[in-house]
Amino acid sequence: MNNKELIASMAAKMNAPKSVIEILLETTVTTCTELLVEEKTIGFQSFGNFEVRKKEERLSVHPSTQIRTLIPPKLVVNFKQSNILKDKLKDMPHHD
Amino acid sequence: MIKEKISSQEIIDLIASKASVSKRASEEFLKVMIATIEEALLKGEIVKIKNFGTFKLLWNEPRKSVNIQSGEEIILAGYYKVGFTPDVVLKLQVNEPFAHLEPVELDITSTLNDPVEEIDEIPLDPLRIFTEQAFEIRNLISEIQGLSPSKKVNPLSEESISEEAIDGIVQIEQDFTNQIIEKELIPIEEKELKLVEEQEYKQIEEQEPEQEEEKIVVPSDNKDDSPREIQYLKDVVSIPAENVNHEEDFELPVTPYLNNVTLPKKKRKVWILGIVVLILIAGLGTGFFYTYPPVTEYTKVALADCRYSLNKISDNVSFSGIIHTVSGWFTPNAKQETIPETVVIPKETNDFDSINQNQPVDSLQELFDNPRVFNDFIATEKFKSGNRLTIMSKRYYGAKEYWVYIYEANKDQITNPDDIAVGTIIKIPKLDSRLIDPANPRCLKKAIELHDIYIK
Repeated sequence: MNNKELIASMAAKMNAPKSVIEILLETTVTTCTELLVEEKTIGFQSFGNFEVRKKEERLSVHPSTQIRTLIPPKLVVNFKQSNILKDKLKDMPHHD
Repeated sequence: MIKEKISSQEIIDLIASKASVSKRASEEFLKVMIATIEEALLKGEIVKIKNFGTFKLLWNEPRKSVNIQSGEEIILAGYYKVGFTPDVVLKLQVNEPFAHLEPVELDITSTLNDPVEEIDEIPLDPLRIFTEQAFEIRNLISEIQGLSPSKKVNPLSEESISEEAIDGIVQIEQDFTNQIIEKELIPIEEKELKLVEEQEYKQIEEQEPEQEEEKIVVPSDNKDDSPREIQYLKDVVSIPAENVNHEEDFELPVTPYLNNVTLPKKKRKVWILGIVVLILIAGLGTGFFYTYPPVTEYTKVALADCRYSLNKISDNVSFSGIIHTVSGWFTPNAKQETIPETVVIPKETNDFDSINQNQPVDSLQELFDNPRVFNDFIATEKFKSGNRLTIMSKRYYGAKEYWVYIYEANKDQITNPDDIAVGTIIKIPKLDSRLIDPANPRCLKKAIELHDIYIK
């Protein structure tokens, strides 16, 4: 499901025009991004938490050339599902 | 690191104020968003949100574990978890503080110690140099403090001073000591003086320490004269002793310390000069900028452009229209839920209709986007076995694709459009003729889109 399909299905559910949903979704995304840039954790009830984690610098070695590279530290967004969502997913059978 | 946590409620408030919609509307929006994402995920789909990221189910393999109490082996069942991959846009924005850092390839020949040093240097370079300097300075100070009192104590014990100190003097300033000795010895014993003078002239370097020894012995013998001489000696000795301290013992450590101190001063001067030059250049530049006519014209044009584009943007993103529509969409929706059959058409839709007639092209899109309100019905039909909504649609509207509108009008009766209970009363709504134009491909496309949403 891509962005368009998400908007379409949300529009159908809320009985609202797609353009409105699109703008609302955009504002949601920008708001979340701004908050994450400030390194704040965002918690969505019953869904999960978005938080920024710092990955420390590390030394990586290329397996074949043995060139060692120093990877600088970085900040990444991490998502942790809530327990409610986890329980919902528990019953899902594995299909692959 | 303490992280501030933003709750759903705060997010709702923020979105409401940013998009200038009511809090209820943004709350509903968020709820629906999360529900939709969840639903899609539970179906095993991947959900992509533009500029934010991708949600995807990840399978955690079942694994073996041991029961702590009984020691039995148990198998933990595999499970799905929601994985989130941030979009490139989000990733870059979040990583802004470390964006300037790039992976560094290290030399292969370097020893194991090298990488450790480099790791230290990269984040703490200026700080480390500063602490190193501080340590050096502290060591120097402690050395000075440790050494100087021991030298100062020496002059108190007479014999040791005169021996040590005078030895030092002799080695450095031979002429000076010679003169002193001459002066000192004259009043005491003329015979000895003559001897001393002769020895001096004959064997200058070797004899000098001996003379001093003699001289020291002399005052101890003649106690009447000794105080004066010792006093004199002390004066003479104490001065060179200090000189010796500074010149000999401290020459090596002091000079690097001085270098360290003087270097930053030079640098500072250069800095001040540089800053002054920069300010001058900046002043000249601004003067030039404001006075030179072509530049001012260009800036005017650029400003006008900026304003124009800003106006354009604000036109596009003006939320006042959205507030109207959104409030329009949320309020009738709530009414529909409570009183589904007797829906009063809001006046806004009438306004839209009038606009629609004026602008035929946009009206169709408007018609698609607006939620349909069904209050007039052409007919009612009892659902028979073997009957289908598509058949009804074909019969009433002329194309089977428009069954979605019949479904929309009877949503309260039908749970699954593929499985309708026999005997259900189906109401056939009266629809805008433009919406169900069988010849218009846009109408068909819209109906198929709706079909995809309802039949997943």
